[in-house]
Amino acid sequence: MWIWIVLAAVVVIVVIYVVSGYNRLVSSNVAVDEAFAQIEVQLKRRSDLIPNLVSTVKGYAAHESGTFEKVTAARAAAEHANGVAEVAAADGQLTQALRGLLMVAEAYPDLKASANFLSLQEELSSTENKVAFSRQFYNDSVRSLNTAIVTIPTKFFVGMANVKAREFYEVPEASDRNAPTVSFE
Amino acid sequence: MAVSFRAQQKTNQRKTWFLLGTMFVALVLMIWAIGTILNFQAYLLVPIAVGISLVGVWTSYWKSDTLVLAMTHAKVVQHEDAPQLYNIVEEVTMAAGLPMPKVAIVDDPAPNAFATGRDPEHAVIAFTTGILRVMDREQLQGIAAHEMAHVGNRDTLVMAVAATTAGLLAVLADMGARMAFFGGRNNNSNNNPIAQIVSIVILLLAPVAALLIRASISRKRESLADATAVEFTRNPNGLRRALETLAGDSTVVQQKSTAVAHVWIESPLDGKSKSMFDTHPPLSDRINILREMEGLPPTEAA
Repeated sequence: MWIWIVLAAVVVIVVIYVVSGYNRLVSSNVAVDEAFAQIEVQLKRRSDLIPNLVSTVKGYAAHESGTFEKVTAARAAAEHANGVAEVAAADGQLTQALRGLLMVAEAYPDLKASANFLSLQEELSSTENKVAFSRQFYNDSVRSLNTAIVTIPTKFFVGMANVKAREFYEVPEASDRNAPTVSFE
Repeated sequence: MAVSFRAQQKTNQRKTWFLLGTMFVALVLMIWAIGTILNFQAYLLVPIAVGISLVGVWTSYWKSDTLVLAMTHAKVVQHEDAPQLYNIVEEVTMAAGLPMPKVAIVDDPAPNAFATGRDPEHAVIAFTTGILRVMDREQLQGIAAHEMAHVGNRDTLVMAVAATTAGLLAVLADMGARMAFFGGRNNNSNNNPIAQIVSIVILLLAPVAALLIRASISRKRESLADATAVEFTRNPNGLRRALETLAGDSTVVQQKSTAVAHVWIESPLDGKSKSMFDTHPPLSDRINILREMEGLPPTEAA
């Protein structure tokens, strides 16, 4: 009698152990997908802001056509990017181009004072922050999945859950990252 | 970074559990004390007391979003009403991986902010008009991250559990004392004089101890929220400068009700000197922990 109870208990514990390890892997994997989808949502939102921004700046600085072309080209490239590495590279390019556009705007006081430009600038810088934070969240999710894949006990269920280590979202330019600002007073 | 936000989070979480554990020990002692002083039928008090404190605290917990908004006269805003503020909160939700809360503004000249709601799906983050006036974008992001951290750490729930237990101890002590006074004792009770004295001491002290523990839990949750805010923004600078602005400001929110005092980022009730009943750690201590995360030396006040 006792032997059966002990056996049943052992079986139950093993099942709980396997199920929880498997579920942890699968849910971390889903979390990575969701986090990447969030980055794409934010990139799309930024992309949608660009035509409006370009036309506003054009109204004051029509002859800066080189800058506009760079932004438009980077935006088009970003829309066709696929996969983590490609999206990240295109994202870096577009960030650079946009920075150039805002630099141009600096030279036109009337433009800088216009309400339309100010609200676009707030939306753009907020979207940049959202992109930065969603990629930070994505990288944290990747880190926890990749750690689970190589650590015991979840390590044993990798084959069963059919998950692979995922790629970090790396921004080409170091200064793009949402690095902590340290001021020395 | 000299101190990591992760280490800060870990110690504050551990201390919260320890304190909640202590409260439950106090509760068990209280039930034993009542049984000792009175007869065993006095145990019937327990379910009644549980009922009373649950009804009071848990309705206010469940309805916390609507209740607190009504009590503070906060107005919920949309993106078009306050684009920058709404954007800042949205940014922090990206970092936290939490759903977008309701954003509200309280018309009050004192700079302050709070978060409430029973779970992240019903969360509200409110800012006073004062805080929006005195703080720059980066500081507001730090404040929003602190409030979002309260939401993510389920602090409304933690504080509801603490309040329920403290309330339960108070109700039990009150009922126990009345029944002992009006002759609820009979021969079934334990007649050991030492047990009797110990029980009376517990009856008198446990409710006060519970209030102290509750305040202590609240302080730990504030420190935890500061550390979690840094995890979200990876930028201790914004929150640190925001707290410095709060420390340098002497105006206090007009709403001094104890019912909502604990929810504000800077307590409207805690005095200038440190007290065991404070719901928030002193601003100077919070600033110094953030300075340490930035690798800066502490300020003189520590």
